[in-house]
Amino acid sequence: MKIRGAYIAAAVAAAIMIAFPAFLGAYPLNVARSVMTYMALAVSWDMLLRSGQISFGIAGLFGLGSYASILAVLRGGMDPLLSIAFAALVAGLVAFALGFAILRLRAMYFSITTLALMEIFRIIMHNLHDFSGGPEGVVLPEVIFGGDASALYWLCLGGLAVTIGASWYFERSKLRLALTAIRNDETSARSNGIDIFKYLLVAFVVTSTLQGMMGAIQVQSYGFTTPDTAFDANFTLLPLAMALLGGIHSTIGPMAGAVLLGIASEWLKLKIPYGHLVVYGVIIIIVILFMPNGLFGLARKAIRKAGGAGSPGSASNGSDAEEGAR
Amino acid sequence: MKKALAILMVACLAVPAFAQSGGTIKLGGTWPLGDITGKQGSMAAQQAVDEINAAGGVLGRKLELIVIDDELKADKGAAAVEKLVTVDGVDALIGGMASGVALGQIPAMKKYGKIVIATGAASYKVEEALGPDANWYFHLHPWDYNQGASYAQGWDEIQKKYPAVKIRKIFLAYEEGAFGKSSFDATKVLFGADKRYSIDGASFKSAALGGGDYGAVLEAAKEFKPDLFLWAGYDADALPMLEQAKAMKFTPGIYLGAPPGWPVDFGASKLSDNVMLYGMWAPSINDVSKVSKAFYNGFVAKYKVEPATYFAPLSYSAVYIYADAVKRAGTTETAAVIKALEATKYASPLGETITFTPSNIIKHQGIKNQKILQWQNGRQEVIWPFEAATAKPVYPFPKWK
Repeated sequence: MKIRGAYIAAAVAAAIMIAFPAFLGAYPLNVARSVMTYMALAVSWDMLLRSGQISFGIAGLFGLGSYASILAVLRGGMDPLLSIAFAALVAGLVAFALGFAILRLRAMYFSITTLALMEIFRIIMHNLHDFSGGPEGVVLPEVIFGGDASALYWLCLGGLAVTIGASWYFERSKLRLALTAIRNDETSARSNGIDIFKYLLVAFVVTSTLQGMMGAIQVQSYGFTTPDTAFDANFTLLPLAMALLGGIHSTIGPMAGAVLLGIASEWLKLKIPYGHLVVYGVIIIIVILFMPNGLFGLARKAIRKAGGAGSPGSASNGSDAEEGAR
Repeated sequence: MKKALAILMVACLAVPAFAQSGGTIKLGGTWPLGDITGKQGSMAAQQAVDEINAAGGVLGRKLELIVIDDELKADKGAAAVEKLVTVDGVDALIGGMASGVALGQIPAMKKYGKIVIATGAASYKVEEALGPDANWYFHLHPWDYNQGASYAQGWDEIQKKYPAVKIRKIFLAYEEGAFGKSSFDATKVLFGADKRYSIDGASFKSAALGGGDYGAVLEAAKEFKPDLFLWAGYDADALPMLEQAKAMKFTPGIYLGAPPGWPVDFGASKLSDNVMLYGMWAPSINDVSKVSKAFYNGFVAKYKVEPATYFAPLSYSAVYIYADAVKRAGTTETAAVIKALEATKYASPLGETITFTPSNIIKHQGIKNQKILQWQNGRQEVIWPFEAATAKPVYPFPKWK
């Protein structure tokens, strides 16, 4: 009954989001696209985090997807829509190949290596002058769908839906059990027969594919890219902050964080044109310092407190947010 | 009864007058407000709006400037254009600094076809993205190739006028991003084409982007023994690079910097003396231009701070150019204002009269020349063009003590 209610709520939310262009103007749709892009990146980052691996390579794979898509259109004459699928595939294949090397690393060694990947991809695009346009980048003759605000919104929503769908599958399938076991105790997970490398590789390839896909959607929507734009560190830092604000190890947490920070960023900018970034930065610092489990974790704690602490059902039905905190 | 009729008559007369006034004329500005170029650019644009309104406005209507921070991000810049046009209903768009942001804004600008008076975006990629049909786009800032051409012309004329100045070897230290790379490419094309100059260069990571070690690039330059050492980076590189050059006793004949803006207190440093620079404006132009002096005094009086970047007088000019065109057109209707803008002849605070002529692709290019300046006793002096010169060049760059 509870699950059916959740499905109905999700269906209603999806229907409302699909219908947004019918009653929202170009500006709110543009802001929504930005929020959805960061939301998809935050959710995909969290999907790998559920295995205990902290990746700082979001911007690297996002940028790789951007370049794969725009170069496929410009140099290969590919259809722009098809180039998005192609870019996702490229990001996935690169992650698959790299996974054999970097998924042997753990903790900060893995994190630092993924951070280095971003810089390596950026330097490669920076120096392939004739192919990638070098530091000046490349420009498409026309953005996808002729720049139609509604179509661009639906395209981005489609990318987000694929990401949420994948995250939902991660949460509901045996992948969740495997990734949680790896995160909690790798030795114990291995002794229980879990093929650690296989599951980490699956998580890394899937999340990289999603990040590459969102990069491709972004580049087709704006019609250009440069190494500095595509591999901007903000594409790593903001999704992290959003996931931490909303609550990690779940789908809903990063989504809530992206909505809150995305809208707060735009609202603050309009209210405090000179200095909004300072306020925005302070909000992020306060959240990370005082709400390590994020809003979702805080809400769960409050609900549990209100419903009577220690009820056996409340713990077993929960997501992994609490486990992460432990 | 009579009183009521009189009120009704006044009201009837007032309605068409109000309808004719059409409320305020709205200008939408996007700049990077966290950067000195955007901050002072938007402040100077507001100064121009206030001055015009104090003088009675345009066509009996007040000007209103709505500013949005583009945060130096393409998506934020594009969202700002969408908001300004669809929510605020602006009559024209002004501002801008980074080419990367302009590239993100162009699809939205093309969609709406509003008049744009752009104060930034020097990359030729922006011109390519605009295409030849963007007749609503008026670009004030010189394109990168315009700047290169004007430097080549400037150094030729300086060498002719001051025979002691001899340039054969040029070394360019450029930041590794789009700005630095396009500067290097333009320098190679413009100075290296007829083999009159020998060109070499190397890139560095700007201190503004996490770099700040110039040892390798300065060593390469020292070995090359250039007559002219030019660096293309950001304001954060200005002092550290000079300090490292001093430590290495690197003294080229001419030490020249070309950042979009200089650190506010750069002139206060002893190291700044005799460093040359490319730019469009300096407070010393007040000595030769009344418009510049009026702008400068107005800015200082309003904000209690000195304008430290040419984006301030450039953005100030953008507002005046638009207001003047609306006045001449007698309407804010786009086609009529475009026609009026094409006939612009604006004596700007930048020390030159701005008109719009075609560039390589677009029809409406404003300024095509940069200036060659030199820090002398803490002040930026104009060396070239000679008609705007405020001092003679100090040459060669003195040996470090």
